[in-house]
Amino acid sequence: MTADTALLDIDSDFMRPPEQVMRLDRMGSSFPTRLSFMRTLIRRMSKENWKFERISREVDKDGYGVSVYSAITPLRTYSLIAFTQEIPAEMRTDRVIAEVWDATFSLFDGIPAQDDIDYLANNTPKQEGGRYRPSELVLARANKSLRVFENVIASLAKGIQPDLDLLYSVGYLMRTTAVYGSGKFGCADRAKIADREECKPPFQIELLAVYLIRWFTIDSVEELAKERGGDKAVRLNENTRQFVGVGNSTGLGMAPFLLKHPTLIHNWVVAKETALARVRSIETPLQGTLEVFLKSLLQVSQHIDEWNVEDAIQAERISCLTDEIQALRIWCEDESNIFRPYPWNGIYHYVEDNFSLECQEMIVSLIIEPHGLIVDDLAETMSTTSIPKFKADMSLSQLKVVVEDCYQWATTIDFSLEESQHHFWYYSEDKLEPRFGSKGVDDGVEQEMPLAIGRDVYDLNEKLSETHDDVPISEFVMMHPQFRHIIRRIQNTFVRPYSEVQDNLLSESMRPLDLLRFKLAFFGASKYDPKSDLWTRISMYQGAPMPDQLSEPNHDCWSFPIAGRSQSYPCINCTCQKAI
Amino acid sequence: MSKSDLTISLNEVLFYFTRAAFGVEVPIGLSEDFARSNIWISENGFDPSLCSLEALDNLDSEASSLAIKFEKVKEGGHLFCPKGKLLSSLEASASCVDWVEVNSANGELKISNVDSPLLVVSALGANQCSGLKVFWVDQDENQFQVNLIDNEVWEILSSSTNPIELSSNADMLISPFGLGDESYKGKTVKTFNLAEEKLNILHNGVKVRENWQGIYDYFSRCLVKSSAESRASGAGAGIVDTD
Repeated sequence: MTADTALLDIDSDFMRPPEQVMRLDRMGSSFPTRLSFMRTLIRRMSKENWKFERISREVDKDGYGVSVYSAITPLRTYSLIAFTQEIPAEMRTDRVIAEVWDATFSLFDGIPAQDDIDYLANNTPKQEGGRYRPSELVLARANKSLRVFENVIASLAKGIQPDLDLLYSVGYLMRTTAVYGSGKFGCADRAKIADREECKPPFQIELLAVYLIRWFTIDSVEELAKERGGDKAVRLNENTRQFVGVGNSTGLGMAPFLLKHPTLIHNWVVAKETALARVRSIETPLQGTLEVFLKSLLQVSQHIDEWNVEDAIQAERISCLTDEIQALRIWCEDESNIFRPYPWNGIYHYVEDNFSLECQEMIVSLIIEPHGLIVDDLAETMSTTSIPKFKADMSLSQLKVVVEDCYQWATTIDFSLEESQHHFWYYSEDKLEPRFGSKGVDDGVEQEMPLAIGRDVYDLNEKLSETHDDVPISEFVMMHPQFRHIIRRIQNTFVRPYSEVQDNLLSESMRPLDLLRFKLAFFGASKYDPKSDLWTRISMYQGAPMPDQLSEPNHDCWSFPIAGRSQSYPCINCTCQKAI
Repeated sequence: MSKSDLTISLNEVLFYFTRAAFGVEVPIGLSEDFARSNIWISENGFDPSLCSLEALDNLDSEASSLAIKFEKVKEGGHLFCPKGKLLSSLEASASCVDWVEVNSANGELKISNVDSPLLVVSALGANQCSGLKVFWVDQDENQFQVNLIDNEVWEILSSSTNPIELSSNADMLISPFGLGDESYKGKTVKTFNLAEEKLNILHNGVKVRENWQGIYDYFSRCLVKSSAESRASGAGAGIVDTD
């Protein structure tokens, strides 16, 4: 399967068009699917029988020190080196501009020698203030959820399981606040590892680091409980361990990434949309799949019940989603609605016609879920090595046609209105923290990041309309070099129709949160917990198998997890049949 | 990050050099091209800041200009700065690559008074323009010839001991590379295999020395000074995460 094969499906009648999919409100309603990158990684770990080993744990009675956890793949080993320290409570912040963290991590390419650990001991705890080498693949840090961390240790030390209501309400023991890869701060460039099979899908190495961090957090509380409670101490029971994820706080850093990698985004979206189109085009459902879907509606009802947030907008959406899933279950009870030709397409259309975007996107995930056999190959098409090039042999008349045909969403925005150019993106000198400023309020308009795709297309279109078709494009950009970047972008994206966010990213009503959720859903994150329009907390790997569970047949059945359950719903991709 | 004698990644070359050019008010499209050229320079084992800092200094001091004109001549084409200044290699390199793409290396392209010739070469290399010979004599009368043989192999021919990175202010001539060329005589030849050089860089990083600080200073112009207000409006502001 190649990206080209996947492209064949783009013209399918069952494919949702880019102008429907690539809108901020829908993007901001995304949920993970079985093509999400965490799911892909877990399937590979299981299929290739990866081994996991704690290489060392040199910490004091409070857990402060250094530990090394390794993932051993068929061809190589990756090691997470974890440094832990005591920090003042008032300095514990999720922001990029934080200076100290409870735990800091480097993912090392291989097994580190003592010299490597010594070098990193002087750098990793400093995070952005340290320097790293091509032997380091990922840099990350995490803070404890103090309430949960202490409660779990204290309970386990006494020989009892922790307060599950408390644990489940948070969902994790520690929360990562940044996970850097791809050459950041001197770490290895992606090109060093891009040819490795396990690194080909997007963000696999970063998500491996997060998976190891999750294991580290669980191992840490169990070891600290043993230290405190001695023989009386117990481990977390298996279901609880599996439900514990690792948290994450995500801010604006993700938004520029999305806008700067249009080809990659196209490949992600076209894979997901192709998966949906393949399922919708099934005339006669595969055996057992409808039953799986119906049970999954029950499961997600419980999952949604456990998804509690303070954010008023998201809370309202969740409330609405609860009602809509209930209404869909009732609709599905009428067998004539679903036991008919093209049942998935029927379900999809019913939901699209009647329910919110949040519900539509959840159902997209649910109807793809039982179809691993026909969609999992698409995971291999979701990366790219392409570098966009300026094509000087394109004529100006061709460019004009492309802008007119493919960028109406941009050329029809009225940028003369103040509210159309209300915001701008910039890098702060504070650790290069990306920020989202308001014109007339914040300084830095002169240093605006070039992320105003719609406005740049609009301006180009104006200039093109004044220019004769006979002018070679190479001379046009000599006269107007300010358009070189947007022409290059258009030349490389018009053949990739899912690459652009088809909304004005500068408008007063724009919520960066929508971009964050879109990307996080592709990662496989769940339980979005917005803290403002600018950042959100999430859970990663909640419900995913622990290293010692990867060989179990239900290793892939962890979407929309439920507290205290070891897995989700019966699955046609493996032999697991536990009822919910 | 602002100190010199660092080892940086190719991704950092892309990040910092794009914004360093943007910091001297180069349009973002040319800044991106400039950074890609610097990646190619780095992949071949050179310190990218060595030739690039001078090009940025020239723009900043207005010794060079991005203004450019093209004229057709009998042998092919001619690029020059209409303002009588040095032609900035940031603009010259992009326009040169465009010309090669359109003309498929037929004919000759003359580029007058370019400030950093290696940047033009690296733009051709980064865009996989091959089968080309690039010749120039710089302001110190050093003669250089670069043969871009194919997408993997290229070579420098020179009778000078001066580093090619420091060669500046030259008229350049770009023409098809012919195997029967006699220009090897009396010159030192250094051959590069891009795949091998790149592999080495991916495992060891890019070494940058004293000029790096200058690149970082231009990069810093893209950063917005922080204030209590802007800090307070950042993502996650106001929360002490002691939950």
